[in-house]
Amino acid sequence: MGDAAVIVSEFLRDAPSGEFMEVVTDVRTLLGNDDLLNSVAPQSFREYNLDQMIVVDTPKGKALVSKFNEVAGGEYLDPANGQVFGFDHIKGTVSGSRAIGGELDGEIEPFRKALEGAAQAYRDEHYPNGGVGVFSSREGGQFVVTVALSSALFNPKNFWGGRWRSVWTIKFKPGGGNADVKGNLRIQVHYYEEGNVQLNTNTEKSKQVPVTDAASFAQAVFKTIAAVENDFHAALDKSYGTMGNTTFKALRRALPITRKKIEWDKITQYKIGGDLGGK
Amino acid sequence: MAALDFALDLMRRLPPSNVEDNLAKLCDLVPDLIEDLLSSIDQPLKIAHDNETRRDYLLCDYNRDGDSYRSPWSNKYDPPLPDGAQPSQKLRTLEIQANEAFDIYRDLYFEGGVSSAYLWDLDSGFAGVVLIKKTQDQSKQGLPMKGTWDAIHVVEVEEKKPQSHYKLTSTVMLSIETATDQTGKVSLAGNLTRQVEGDAAAAKPQDHIANIGRLIEDMELKLRTTLELIYFGKTKDIVNQLRNATGTSITKTRDAQYAAIAGAVKK
Repeated sequence: MGDAAVIVSEFLRDAPSGEFMEVVTDVRTLLGNDDLLNSVAPQSFREYNLDQMIVVDTPKGKALVSKFNEVAGGEYLDPANGQVFGFDHIKGTVSGSRAIGGELDGEIEPFRKALEGAAQAYRDEHYPNGGVGVFSSREGGQFVVTVALSSALFNPKNFWGGRWRSVWTIKFKPGGGNADVKGNLRIQVHYYEEGNVQLNTNTEKSKQVPVTDAASFAQAVFKTIAAVENDFHAALDKSYGTMGNTTFKALRRALPITRKKIEWDKITQYKIGGDLGGK
Repeated sequence: MAALDFALDLMRRLPPSNVEDNLAKLCDLVPDLIEDLLSSIDQPLKIAHDNETRRDYLLCDYNRDGDSYRSPWSNKYDPPLPDGAQPSQKLRTLEIQANEAFDIYRDLYFEGGVSSAYLWDLDSGFAGVVLIKKTQDQSKQGLPMKGTWDAIHVVEVEEKKPQSHYKLTSTVMLSIETATDQTGKVSLAGNLTRQVEGDAAAAKPQDHIANIGRLIEDMELKLRTTLELIYFGKTKDIVNQLRNATGTSITKTRDAQYAAIAGAVKK
């Protein structure tokens, strides 16, 4: 039954944003083996939530659940609200909260906190429905600050939903030089009234920002992030125009070149490559 | 709800760009449902070549017998199948006319692509499927965009006087993708299904083709309009709700300005 476990995990992994439980219900009914489902559930549910970067309600405010702030054993660091909270992936519920105890890196903290402030302002400006989390780590001799942005809307009554995810990784050494600012932007949209239509985008961006004091650096980083994301958003809008006006029309005309619907009683009088009365 | 309904619900949620893989996985997971799954889940159409008539044709469950497929042009199976399922003589005549008519339809609307029509007998009439496939690759024109249109129109005809009854179920699968430095990979993929029923007189057998043709033409027009609205309108609107490109502070300032102007104009 090894194959069934893999297939089930992959179906769960590919559930569109906001429809995870519907996919679980379908899979559970088709599989007809709750033991098998229960054996893959803990890992599958957790991996899905981390990849989605779900935004959850804690008693202290909204917070992200992602691999960047996972502490251990179902606990997630939430520096903005000054807590570490527990999250049960199977139940989908927040379970308890405690004070932060050594999970923050003192040396990086001034930068992380400044970037967090700038990130929240950026989120307020551009992602009114979104959540943002800013977390620190180290890599080699460098400071790393990760900005995770997750903005989702679900409207099952009207058969649609979607999520925009941005992950910006800022790598630098304090005191000078340039920071490597790398972004991964992913958008998924699903429309499913009498059909199944999905938009999926995935892109990588890369910039350099000079390292200065924490406050100025944070502003400069987010000025860059805003510019890059605005450019991408505008390019996507423009692509929509081209796809709709050029590619779509080249696939199928709205009407034949005669600009009239076909006269079916006379269909045999049309000639391939000509029009009615054919040459 | 039957197991098949859960399978169809699942296929309405999984990424449409992976339909072939997902269908294969479903067949592995629920082998009892294989027949139902293969006949109710639409996949992008595959093209085969009929060497005898030197024409392309499309493959589906309705022209398949075992592992062989019947060409609508030569009426022969590939690989050869001497006892392969065939439409009756009378129906084959109609099938030839249907293929000619829809070949013209395809040329007028798609200016390219491949079409095929297959008919089979029913107790009170007959049924048929009209398939159309068109692909477009614009990378040669300097536009990094590709698209595919797959249409599957299944019609049931109940032959009666004074009017025959037609039931049409149509699915169009549409996928468009692009990849540029500015946008990265963008993929819009999916399918829509609609049904319509109608009555029309058919004094002679070939009148059925005109009646079916009108139903399909109207149906594709509706589907094309809806696809355009959803793909290039609705999904774009949702992206713009996920992220506000202008910025909420600017939007608020603008809204306040509009309110002030509206207030001043009223006075």
